[in-house]
Amino acid sequence: MPRLTPYLLVAPLIAFIAVFTYIPIVTSLDLSFREWDFLSPEKPWVGLANYRQLFASHSFWQAVWVTAVFVVISVPIRLGLALAVANLLLRETRGSRILRAALFLPSVTSTVSIAVVFSWVFATDVGLANAALEAVGLPRLRWLQDPTLALAVIIIVNTWKQLGYDIIIYIAGLQAIPTELYDAASVDGGRRFHVFRRVTVPLVMPTTYFLLVVSVIEAFQIFAIVDVMTHGGPAGATNMLVVELYKIGFSLFDIGQGSALAVLLFVLLVALAIFKARVLGRRVHYEA
Amino acid sequence: MRRDALALIAGLIFLSPVLYSIWMSFQTSDAYYTGGMEFTIDNYVRAIGQFGFARYLLNSVIVSGVVTLAGLMVAVMAAFAFARFSFRGGNLLFGAVVATLMIPSHISLIPNYLTLAKAGLLDSYAGLILPAVANGFAAFFLRQYIRGIPVALDEAAYMDGATPLQVLWRVIVPIARPAILSMGLFIFIGEWNNYIWPLIATGDKDLYTLQVGLARLYRINPGEGFLDWPLIMAASTITLLPVLAGFLLVERHLVRGITMGAVK
Repeated sequence: MPRLTPYLLVAPLIAFIAVFTYIPIVTSLDLSFREWDFLSPEKPWVGLANYRQLFASHSFWQAVWVTAVFVVISVPIRLGLALAVANLLLRETRGSRILRAALFLPSVTSTVSIAVVFSWVFATDVGLANAALEAVGLPRLRWLQDPTLALAVIIIVNTWKQLGYDIIIYIAGLQAIPTELYDAASVDGGRRFHVFRRVTVPLVMPTTYFLLVVSVIEAFQIFAIVDVMTHGGPAGATNMLVVELYKIGFSLFDIGQGSALAVLLFVLLVALAIFKARVLGRRVHYEA
Repeated sequence: MRRDALALIAGLIFLSPVLYSIWMSFQTSDAYYTGGMEFTIDNYVRAIGQFGFARYLLNSVIVSGVVTLAGLMVAVMAAFAFARFSFRGGNLLFGAVVATLMIPSHISLIPNYLTLAKAGLLDSYAGLILPAVANGFAAFFLRQYIRGIPVALDEAAYMDGATPLQVLWRVIVPIARPAILSMGLFIFIGEWNNYIWPLIATGDKDLYTLQVGLARLYRINPGEGFLDWPLIMAASTITLLPVLAGFLLVERHLVRGITMGAVK
C-alpha cells in the first residue's frame, strides 16, 4: 500500500484546521501587538499598547465584571436545577421520555429565535411576563430597560435554553450509579432528600465537574442572546466579553485592541479546557 | 397514566413561549393588538415576499447542507486514516485535531475575516462555508467508532484487491452509517443555528442566513413605532421549525450521540 495514503486522507482536514483554527491563533497574537484599523496599508508594531489601552478602558472592565457575575450566578442555577430535574426523570416511563424531549428541545433550537421570542415575553407593553404580573395585581416591570433586570433576563433565557442539555448529561451520569447503593441507603431508613444528599450528589460528582467546566467555558462565550435582546445595554449592564470583542473588532474596527481581547479570553478559556482535560478528565472517567 | 399526563403538561408549559409564538404567527396584527382572534397566513406571505425570508431560507439550506456534506467527507476520510493506519506524525496530527475541541472559536473571528477579505470571499457562500468545514469533534467521534469495527473486514477486502478508498467507501462507511448520520445531524444543526460568523461575514442582504435575517428584522422594527410581533414570529417560526421538525424525527439518535461524547 502506498505510504502516502494516510497523509492524503488526513490532508483536507489538516489543511482546514491549519488555515481556520491554528494560523488564526498566531495571527491574533501578532495583531494584538500592532495598531491597525483594517483599512490603512501600515500595521505599525506598538508592543503592549493595545493591552494597556484595554486595561485602561472602562467598558473592558465592565465586560469582565458582567461576564463574571453572569458565570457565577447562572452556572450554579443551571446545574442545581438540572440535577434536581434529572433525578425526577430518571425512570424510563413514557411521561419522563416526553418531558426529557421537551426540556432538551431548546438546546437544539435557533438561539436567535429564542432570543426574539423571549424579547416578546419580556416586552414592557405586550409581554407575557408583565401580563402575568398584572394578573396577580403587581405593577409592570421594564425588564430589558432596567440594568439589573436585563442581566437577570439574560440569565433566565440562557438557563431555559441550556437546561435540557445539562439534564441529559446528568441522567446519563445518574444511570451509572449502581442501584444497590440506593437500596442500601433506603434500607437504612434514609428519607428521599437524605438519600439525594448523601448518595446521589457525591456519586454524581464526576458529571458535575464535567458540566461545571463545560458550562463555564460556554458562559464566557455567550453572544447571540445578548446581541439580539439587549445589544449589551442598557448602559452596558449586559455587555459581556464576546459582545465587547465584536464591538471593538467589527464596529470600531480597532483590530489591534480586538485581537488583544481575543488573546486574553483565549488564554483563559484554554487554561480552563486543559484543567478539564487533565484534572477532571481522570475523575470523570474513573467510575464509569 | 396520570403522571404521564402531568409530564406532558409540564413540557407544554416549559415550551409555551415558543408554542405561543408559533400560534401568534398565524394571527393578524390587528387582531393581536386588539385581543381578538383572526387566522391568517399573511405574516408568512409578507416575511417571505416582502422581507426576503425565502432567500434567507435558501441560503441557510445551501450553507448548512454544504457544510454538513463537506464536513462529513473530510472528517470520515481523516477518521479512517487515524483509525486504520499507523504513520509518522499520525499521533501528533490526531492530537492537533482533538485539541481544536478546546480552542474557543472567537479567537479566529478577526483573522478569518481578514483571510476571507483578502481572498475576496466575504459576502459569498464560500466565505460562509469554508471556516465551518473542519469539525474536530466529528473526526474524533468517527475515529473512535471506526476503531470498533473488526479489521478483518478491511483485510478481506484488501485481499480481493480493493484500494483504501474502496475499503473506506464499501466497507467502513456502510457499517459506520449510524455514527455518520448522527454526526451529520450535529453539524447541520450547529451550522443552521450559527449566528456570529454569518453576521460578520455578510453585509449583502442576499447572503443573509435565517439567523442574521431574523435578528435584522427584529431590529429594524418594520411596524413603525410599534413592533409587528406576528410578522416577527412568522419569521422566527421559519427560522426554528426545520431543525425542530428534524429533531423530533431523530431525537433518540441525537441524545445518544451527545451523551456518548460526555460520559464514557
